Amino acid sequence: MTNAAGRRESPPHARLAIVSMTAVLAGGACPGLLAAPDGKEAPVSQVERKHLAPVSKEVLRVRLPRPVEDRLPNGLRILVLEDHRFPTVQVQLQVGGAGPIHEPADRTGLADLTARMMTESAGGRSSEELARAIASLGAGIEVSAPFGSTDLQLTASGLSDNFDAWFGLVRDILLHPDFPEDEFAKLKKRSAAQLQQQRAQPTFLAHEQIHRSLYGTHPASRVSITEASLASLTTDHLRSWHRDRIVPQRTLLGIAGDLRASELVAKLAQTFGGWTAAGGPEPAAPRPDAVDGPRVTLVDRPASVQSRLVFGGLSVDRRDPDYIPLTVMNRILGGSAAARLFLNLRENKGYTYGVYSRFSALKYPGPWLAQGDVRTEVTAAAVKGFLVEFRRMREEPVPGDELEEAQRSIVASFALSLEKPDQLLGYALVRAIYGLPESYWDDYPASILAVTAADVQRVAKRYLDPARLRVVAVGDAAVTRPALEPLGPVETLDVLGRPIPP
Amino acid sequence: MRMSHYVLPAGMLLSACGSDPTPTAPAAASTGRSIRVEATQHRLANGLRVILSEDHAAPTVSLCVTYNAGSRDEPPGRTGFAHLFEHMMFQGSARVGKGEHFILVQANGGNMNGTTNADRTNYFQTLPSNQLELGLFLEADRMSALAVNAANFENQRNAVREERRLNYDNRPYGRTYEVLLETAYDNFAYKHSTIGAMADLDAAPLEAVQAFYETYYAPNNAVLALVGDFEPDVALKRIRSYFEPIPARPAPPEPDMTEPVQRAERRATLEDDFAQAPRIDIAWKIPPGNTPDWFALGVLGDILADGESSRLYQTLVKRAQVAVEVYGGAQERRGPSLLTLTILTRPGQDLDAVERELDAVVATLQQKPVETWELDKVRLQTRRQLAQQLQSTLTRAVLLAQYAVFYGDPLYINSIEPKTAAVTSGDILRVCRRYLTPDNRTIVRTIPSSRKQKP
Repeated sequence: MTNAAGRRESPPHARLAIVSMTAVLAGGACPGLLAAPDGKEAPVSQVERKHLAPVSKEVLRVRLPRPVEDRLPNGLRILVLEDHRFPTVQVQLQVGGAGPIHEPADRTGLADLTARMMTESAGGRSSEELARAIASLGAGIEVSAPFGSTDLQLTASGLSDNFDAWFGLVRDILLHPDFPEDEFAKLKKRSAAQLQQQRAQPTFLAHEQIHRSLYGTHPASRVSITEASLASLTTDHLRSWHRDRIVPQRTLLGIAGDLRASELVAKLAQTFGGWTAAGGPEPAAPRPDAVDGPRVTLVDRPASVQSRLVFGGLSVDRRDPDYIPLTVMNRILGGSAAARLFLNLRENKGYTYGVYSRFSALKYPGPWLAQGDVRTEVTAAAVKGFLVEFRRMREEPVPGDELEEAQRSIVASFALSLEKPDQLLGYALVRAIYGLPESYWDDYPASILAVTAADVQRVAKRYLDPARLRVVAVGDAAVTRPALEPLGPVETLDVLGRPIPP
Repeated sequence: MRMSHYVLPAGMLLSACGSDPTPTAPAAASTGRSIRVEATQHRLANGLRVILSEDHAAPTVSLCVTYNAGSRDEPPGRTGFAHLFEHMMFQGSARVGKGEHFILVQANGGNMNGTTNADRTNYFQTLPSNQLELGLFLEADRMSALAVNAANFENQRNAVREERRLNYDNRPYGRTYEVLLETAYDNFAYKHSTIGAMADLDAAPLEAVQAFYETYYAPNNAVLALVGDFEPDVALKRIRSYFEPIPARPAPPEPDMTEPVQRAERRATLEDDFAQAPRIDIAWKIPPGNTPDWFALGVLGDILADGESSRLYQTLVKRAQVAVEVYGGAQERRGPSLLTLTILTRPGQDLDAVERELDAVVATLQQKPVETWELDKVRLQTRRQLAQQLQSTLTRAVLLAQYAVFYGDPLYINSIEPKTAAVTSGDILRVCRRYLTPDNRTIVRTIPSSRKQKP
């Protein structure tokens, strides 16, 4: 029951968006109460440091627990972290090569629909029987293949009390999905409705256009199934994708929780022993071409009362040595409520509820994005505010105190992950998925602390490059377009992505 | 910076008692050790209630200060003020600069936030355990001496306006929940949203900030919960030295929460500029949380609408295919609560027919006892969710403080699992017949506006 943790109280209003790395920028022509676009006249609300708080200068150095690792003869890799604090077990399974990045361009959504159909029917159980079985054991099982991902993912959780019972369902969903025609027809109908609904969301529209802008014809340019592919995909396509792509030698199975690792590994060898390898190692993810110049895209969303602004570029793959300095740079630029974008655009200017930056480092170079929703009238000033912060990162060495705080924040926050087995498992999986060295997480704090102001400036120059900057805005075009024009020619689209002539 | 070495201890939070707390549970669903949070309660001389829950399993502490103030305390014309005020608590105090709170917590590896709802406002942080002093300092400083100025107030007024636009005015169905509350409730306390009306946010005067602070932000109107890796004697001493000097103030007025009995069905329809398909929202009035009927209604809500196994998902989404999404359940409020359902319809449906499908599902639940597997589902899902959520010291701190404010009993947290498990099919029949009646419900239909953009 969701009242358990108060999830169903009347919805709370948080001061910050807790999870979302998305933010809103408000922009516009007429100054609000304190938002004179040039920031010169209005009464100024300024961040202030008093330095009176008692702070321990020591950083707790924590060692992440190492999982028990094994590999079955069929190539399946297993990671197990014992954690007996609570009677639960969490499963995170990834199958490389089974995600949308690897699907053919004319079958967009193949991986996504395969994943969604896997929980509709499996092991001879109907959709309803399967849903009942999972729920009545107190478990949760989800399969997804998010756009932009190279992998298909299965996550499950349940009680340790009845692990064998619900893990049997996990096995059937992974290995024996049934792909019944009638359930596929129903799923297609629901998906068609969802396709229409997502176009009402500024976050979706911005996400769609920034990926298209950054990735061109690379598969990461696709963020959603299309009506055309929905019409053409059949259960045969899904069956063959499942048969060819869900293979043990590309699969990583992580389990954390209230179990004995040695007993579990033996059990898994039995459960998955008959699953046979096929098709060789995981195919490499295609690399995107470099972004070839700046571009500004505006999606006209009539009746909008905010502008959503997204600035983006390509970052790095997860094994790139620049990952470490980028992590520090991002923390300084926009990684939290204590970062420059938030303190400037929200706390000093009041343009937005929140503004953040992040970057994704995957098996191929993911995007770096800085984004927020701002009130329409201050769009121009907010655009300028973003650009000022990018320029400061590139042109000015980060002051020593600020660098040290960013490094400390990253290193010290490791202690918090020790509360949660799924986070610890997540760290172990990252190391395994990307083939990072055994000692990666042990060395990570020292690597972060070794980053210099010159390193930060170097990666800022390289990745926050105005000559390759892509900008997407979603809002009312009549008001938003003039705010974007100083950036260069503005490509204007409707919510379906069709060009609107200037 | 210096580094100290921390060895991960193998602490146990849970009392591993093997007895079965639900003797009536069917054998098919095994029940393991009980999930319990242990805590001690203290009251300082100024009335501040303190709850300590020691757990050395990870080198972290979570601190939550919950004030007995929420949007239910707002009079007409001041909607949204409790939440706007919450933003001001991050704008600086005697010894903390504006924005410095974020920087101090983040730079030392912590997380923090504040949230407001109808019934309470809370402020919290999780920190590496060697930074406990920092957390106590930050919370005590803003409880004792908030620093407010006009520029910072305007700044946060703007941030909150954008929060409202982001979450209500610029998204599909953003206004629906507000209309549901306005229609269902008669008493103003719950009749308005926590985010508040834009006009009221615009009109909120600076002087009201100090007045609200003095009325509600007294130590005797707050609860502090501390969970994690600390020594209780030492921590309590530090808490006393930080918080006990803050003077008590007169208790704030208790809001009148009485809600007249609803005698007839209520309906409203609103047009939405961004919605692509009609949505139907239903609210039945139910008793407050922690009452005998509330738990049965909680279980009923999950049987109706929790997940793909639920009756409404199977009926409306899978069999009749008139909806693409269904969710809902019993809300837990201190005052008159609601059981709500949301049905996102597939475009082109006859909405009266959708409602008839819903009525048939409810009618069945009023005639036939629910099945055993459905009781197992709610009982075990509750157990798993509790176990997962309580892994976090922050969730424990938030819930301990919240239940102390709501019910005067932080350890109410330990009765959620057994009280849920004790609900019988007879209880569900009874509450379904009593509360899920047409006269006791409000239905809001959200329709795509005629002037909306064409897809």
